[in-house]
Amino acid sequence: MRKILVLVLACVLAGAPALFAQSTSKAGFDVYTDKNSPNNHFIPSGWMGDSGDLRMNDQCAETPAAGSSCVKVIYNPKKSAGQGWAGIYWQSAQNNWGDKNTGFDLSDFNKLVFKAKGAKGGEVIAKVKIGGITNKPDGTIAAYPDTVNAEFGPIQLTSEWQDFSLNLAGKDLKYINGGVALVFDSNQVKGEQTVYLDDVRFVNDPALKAEAVSTPMPFYVYADTRSLDNHFIPSGWMPNTASQDIKMDTTSKEKPQSGDTCIRVEYKNASGTRWAGIYWQQPANNWGNVPKAGYNLTGATKLTFWARGEKGGETVNEFKMGGISSGEFVDSDTAGIGPVRLTTEWTKYEIDLTGKDLSYIIGGFCLSTNIDVNDPEGVVFYVDEIKYE
Amino acid sequence: MKIWRKMRKYKAMHKMLWGFLVGFSLCCGNALAASGAKIERLKSGGFSLKVDGKPFLVKGVSYNPAPIGAGYDYDLFSDPAKPWLVDGPLMRDAGINCIRVYSAGKNVEDVRAFVRQMYEKFGIYTIFTDWLGLWDPSGPNYADQKWRNALKQNMLKIVRALRDEPGILMWCLGNENNYSFSAKTVYWSSPDIDKMSSEQAKQWERAKIYYSFVNDLAKSIKKIDKRHLVGMGNGETGYLDIAAKYCADVDVLALIMYRGPNFGILFDNSRRSFDKPIILSEFGCDSFDAYNKIEAPDQQSVIVMNQWKDIYRNTVFGSGNIKGKIPVCLGGVLFEWTDEWWKHNESFQPDWIVHNTEAGWAEGAYYFDSRAEAGLNINEEWFGIVAIEPDQTNGVNIRVPRKAYYAIKEYFASLNNAS
Repeated sequence: MRKILVLVLACVLAGAPALFAQSTSKAGFDVYTDKNSPNNHFIPSGWMGDSGDLRMNDQCAETPAAGSSCVKVIYNPKKSAGQGWAGIYWQSAQNNWGDKNTGFDLSDFNKLVFKAKGAKGGEVIAKVKIGGITNKPDGTIAAYPDTVNAEFGPIQLTSEWQDFSLNLAGKDLKYINGGVALVFDSNQVKGEQTVYLDDVRFVNDPALKAEAVSTPMPFYVYADTRSLDNHFIPSGWMPNTASQDIKMDTTSKEKPQSGDTCIRVEYKNASGTRWAGIYWQQPANNWGNVPKAGYNLTGATKLTFWARGEKGGETVNEFKMGGISSGEFVDSDTAGIGPVRLTTEWTKYEIDLTGKDLSYIIGGFCLSTNIDVNDPEGVVFYVDEIKYE
Repeated sequence: MKIWRKMRKYKAMHKMLWGFLVGFSLCCGNALAASGAKIERLKSGGFSLKVDGKPFLVKGVSYNPAPIGAGYDYDLFSDPAKPWLVDGPLMRDAGINCIRVYSAGKNVEDVRAFVRQMYEKFGIYTIFTDWLGLWDPSGPNYADQKWRNALKQNMLKIVRALRDEPGILMWCLGNENNYSFSAKTVYWSSPDIDKMSSEQAKQWERAKIYYSFVNDLAKSIKKIDKRHLVGMGNGETGYLDIAAKYCADVDVLALIMYRGPNFGILFDNSRRSFDKPIILSEFGCDSFDAYNKIEAPDQQSVIVMNQWKDIYRNTVFGSGNIKGKIPVCLGGVLFEWTDEWWKHNESFQPDWIVHNTEAGWAEGAYYFDSRAEAGLNINEEWFGIVAIEPDQTNGVNIRVPRKAYYAIKEYFASLNNAS
């Protein structure tokens, strides 16, 4: 009888990780050291965006940083699903997008460390994320959301293995399903690139302090198309018909104000809706339904940008920041200017942020206009150097 | 003796006449003081409205209570059922202090009686708006001097008739007339405009013509009426930069805005275009969910309350604790008091007795039903904060206040402002 009880208990304990979030040892919590390492946790099953642009081999034997293998990821920015980005999540269980309670309690740790290199040097990982699986595809909160949504990057690699560490001190790591994610952005790469990853683990550093919440200025929304300093994504097209009315090129080389490129916006009332606009959001398509998103831009006193019209006289109804207000996790404030009548010369504009609550900004920049204040045939205008200062 | 008696009689008559004159002037003096409205410029650069010397927050509703079966030509003031006698108490109980009407109907004397009754019985002011010919059957033509003169004379006639009514709060010239510059609503032009090289130039020229006319009208009104403010209706903020150049004599921007739960950057940014105080002269939310195809009084209430709170924190009453906030708003006129059952199919009379649930246009900021087919989510026949029912009492459709009515009532009761 006693033997049966011990056997049952052993089976229960073996099955426990599938039943509830586990506590872990304080030595370190491996995500990946070698293929098939018994200490590995999380599974690279969460493919996102232009997933067809990615190939991954997690038993690559090409000069691993340590042990017998490393992770090799090849990103070819073909935009196979039209997204312009691609990523992989290491998830606590196969394809767990927050609907299963299989996450881990990583409260004992405060740092993610890993080694990375590029095949040639210069490769860019747009983001390394920890947590962030919080919403279902329809935008509602997942049944078992991650308690943290931290991201770092972009990271530019060399051809040599380098150590990276990401400070998670002070963050809530009580339930982590999305252990690590790598995200690549087609705007930041010049063609196919290969990156390698090894020795990815969560550790505890007793001397590590939580980073003070302050964002260094200037904080760019857009510097140049491939700038690693860019933040927010121009994903918020308004209203539903905007894609019929707006053509936007963020790689325009038509007399940029500075650098190599600027943003060209062409607006016509093709749909008959008579107005259209675009929000730069963080993350993409965040209309206020993603928790722990956006940026804390406290300290910025103004948002500046340059703009010009193709012919002169083009009217942009509003240039603004913030103001996404319809969800549960909305912008903390809004400010803007407009209507603005453009000239053919680049002109610098400022949005005063004095006194504004910038602690949670998901709508980093927005422009909108309508046909009733413009040439009925449509207008073309340009924007460049959008930054918080 | 006879002479002395005549002198006594004369003195008595003199006293009576003097007493009458004094009494009359006091009465008129009070009437004159009762409707004096003034804009004060604050040190911060913002604005405050004073009525009879007291701070005043405009807590208004648009009022066109067309009964079921009536249409675009409904003339409120000549309605024998006098629905305002039913609506006035409800408005007063909710703390509403003014209504907005859009024309003088068929007889300005009926308007006078209406304004007087609303004020004397319920303490409710009237913002009198004139469409300035926008919906004339033959179409507007602001470029035509004769046409403008006729409009002007008509407006001045109305002002002369109503200026001494203590219940008049202010005049409002036009509504969304600026949408005609691009022919969004109606088209007007002139040979000189037609010769212009670009469509953009034509639109700007129409704007200059129209706003110049509005300013001329404002100046003319102020010559014959020194007690009332003159506002200018404008759809959204379009062309306000041009209006700023031509409408210096306008006192208030009466803006019509349907931007969902709040007004975005409007209040913090408006002075950059046109440095005048703002009244939101139309705003609101319909009470029908076009996506789920059900009534949505809860959603209407949530959005209307958000709108009101945004308005209030941008007035002198609500901005004090908000760092850096410059109050430019004088209050708002919610669209609207009751549902109008004719609006979805304006030209088809048989439909005026149907409470249509089809949406007529799209505004995604009203997020609760923005996923409706083709994005069409605005139901024109459902904007009332008071529903109406086919059954009548004394010729007036039964009123059923919606949740938004009660929410506004509670909110206004909680505000610490005068009036």
